[in-house]
Amino acid sequence: MHKVWAVIRREYLERVRTKAFVIGTFLFPLVLGLFWALPLLLARRDTGAKKVAVVDATTGGVGDRVVKALSEAVDDKGRNRYVLTVVPATGRVDAVRDSLVQRTGLSAKRAEGETFDGVLVLDDARLAEGKSLYLGTNVTSFADMRILDGQVERTIHRTRLLGLGIDSAQAAEALARVDLQTEKVNDGRRTGESGDAGFFLAYAMDFLLYMGLILYGMQVMGSIVEEKTTRIAEVLVSSLTPFQLMLGKVLGVGLVGLTQMGIWATTAMLLTSYATQMAAVFGMGDPTSGVKLPTVSPQLLVVFLLFFVLGFLLFASAYAAVGAMCNSTQETQQANTPVTMTIAVGFVLMFALLGEPNGTLARVLTFVPLVSPFVVPVRYSISPMPVLEVVGAALALVVGLVAITWVAARIYRIGILSYGKRPTLGELWRWVRTA
Amino acid sequence: MADAVIQVDHVTKRFAGHTAVHDLSLTVPGGGIFGLLGPNGAGKSTTIRMIMNILVPDEGRVTLFGQGATRDLSDRIGFLPEERGLYKKMQVFEHLVFLAETKGMARARAKERAGAWLERLGIADWRLKKVEDLSKGMQQKVQFAGTLLHDPQLVILDEPFSGLDPVNSQVMKDVVVELAREGRTVLFSTHIMEQAERMCDRLVIIARGRKLVDGTLAEVKGRAGGQHVALTFGDGTAALAAPVLADRALVRRLDDYGASAEVELAEGVPGQRLLQALVGQGVELRRFEMVEPSLQAIFVQLVGRDAATAPAREDGDA
Repeated sequence: MHKVWAVIRREYLERVRTKAFVIGTFLFPLVLGLFWALPLLLARRDTGAKKVAVVDATTGGVGDRVVKALSEAVDDKGRNRYVLTVVPATGRVDAVRDSLVQRTGLSAKRAEGETFDGVLVLDDARLAEGKSLYLGTNVTSFADMRILDGQVERTIHRTRLLGLGIDSAQAAEALARVDLQTEKVNDGRRTGESGDAGFFLAYAMDFLLYMGLILYGMQVMGSIVEEKTTRIAEVLVSSLTPFQLMLGKVLGVGLVGLTQMGIWATTAMLLTSYATQMAAVFGMGDPTSGVKLPTVSPQLLVVFLLFFVLGFLLFASAYAAVGAMCNSTQETQQANTPVTMTIAVGFVLMFALLGEPNGTLARVLTFVPLVSPFVVPVRYSISPMPVLEVVGAALALVVGLVAITWVAARIYRIGILSYGKRPTLGELWRWVRTA
Repeated sequence: MADAVIQVDHVTKRFAGHTAVHDLSLTVPGGGIFGLLGPNGAGKSTTIRMIMNILVPDEGRVTLFGQGATRDLSDRIGFLPEERGLYKKMQVFEHLVFLAETKGMARARAKERAGAWLERLGIADWRLKKVEDLSKGMQQKVQFAGTLLHDPQLVILDEPFSGLDPVNSQVMKDVVVELAREGRTVLFSTHIMEQAERMCDRLVIIARGRKLVDGTLAEVKGRAGGQHVALTFGDGTAALAAPVLADRALVRRLDDYGASAEVELAEGVPGQRLLQALVGQGVELRRFEMVEPSLQAIFVQLVGRDAATAPAREDGDA
């Protein structure tokens, strides 16, 4: 054990002391935050009023009402959303529509005369089918389309109600918005968390697992390839058994991972608990007002850590085997695909679990070692599982872990001293079988 | 042989395409320097790896210190593999301490020893440098120190002098001789016969995975038999000697170095006859001496034909 400890110690210290570790620790959350925030910021970017041509082929003033509603629509800074051009087109809708489409989304070079960002088509036949048509450059913007859709729909509803003889005050009352508010219930108790918060928590955990397993698994792999390329493997293997060496590496890198995640977790906790004070320092309002941050129960934390550690050991030994069968970093990039793909599958499974955290699929996957490191924490965060089931899942995972480690250690043992061509599957099988 | 430090019994190792070591037996007694000699591809490294228990023999067995498996004994063995390797980014001193720790040495003691060895090999000023900042020769010294740090009783060196300049080679040689003088056992492999001849007490010559001869240096030379003459020619007269030396009635085997030569006389031919023939040709002789055959001559005689047909590729071992 003294020898394994020496390997762990070296692996840990040599990694933590590098600039890469320090930079990575600070840069990673920053990059992650940017990835998170950038799409939101871009979506919110002020794009100015849209020039929309309305092809009005309606009777009974439906078109006029829609136009009126749209012309009154303002964004959150109080500016008009649309600049409207109404083209009456009863009887020749298609021709008018097509001529307007030709003036839509033109490049600056070709833009002579009036141009549009989009064309809204309203005609009786279509409305009777419950449809309206918008052709434009911004149809891929979810935000734009949701707003436009809502405004058109509400106006049409209102018109229909008025047509039924209901006065406009009653109609407004009938059409008042109703938003569904959600709150998560956990074990018969209200948590005070919104559904969004619950999703956020599950997603954050899932993402952390995914990143952690790949990031640190790859480090184990890289470190083993380094040992092969520098040819130090043979010196070490004469002093330690290959298994001791592999164990030392996996544990050493694992501790580096826990250190890094520990730093991130502590920072995140400090940031959220002092968020109000910090926001005040920067002259902003309370950023957390109106949002109840998801709470992480101690039980959930235990489950998360347990499955993260077991999952890491499993995938890190798989990565170790990959490293041992390659001769260079370039080779590993291709060879690690099966391992990385398996992790990705586990990550994506979350979206299947959200709908039915206690369904048959979820229950079965709980006991599949390759994906249970993802399935169990995500399930547990959505709705707590029976303790027995968690214990069973952990045991199944341990069995899988032992099996994978055994195979990996056998591949590692031979691979670490083999140079030249990468082994075929048949050769790998022979490596596993040799005594 | 109760006091044998290494006992290799009828060991065979096969790789995918060929047999690297075939039914090889050898005994290394305690103390002294043992040479494992052979041309490239003879199976020297494979043999050493089996002794180190890095490879497991397909047949036969290896016994060290009278016991079986090696890894438990690795604390008593210092091993310098043919493929040298160090962590490039580590500090020299840290690296040595780590290597000693993997041999089971306590950290404090490892530090003490690492310092002492850096001092001894004259690289103490480099202790805080990264390995990659060192010259190749210095890296070799660090590796050498790493092999010996834990005070092993048995030292196994695979091609220890390859790639060293004469000065460093001398330093290493002194250390090896010193180790043997302290009563330790040194086994080293080489294909440079002059070195082996000067250093080894005992040796084994292998080629194509088979043992050709073993014993003490004197035994090997005695067994080689024949009468050998060392010649050194005077300026410009070497060419005159050529027809005499080519005469199979006089000379059985010739090892020609240009300005000098080593010959084995044909059976029953006295040295006098060769001398007369050479003088008769007008060859000026600066040296004419009846000698024991050199290890080089014995090696070429035993291995010659085999060496020429040594397998082209042998999974990175030699």
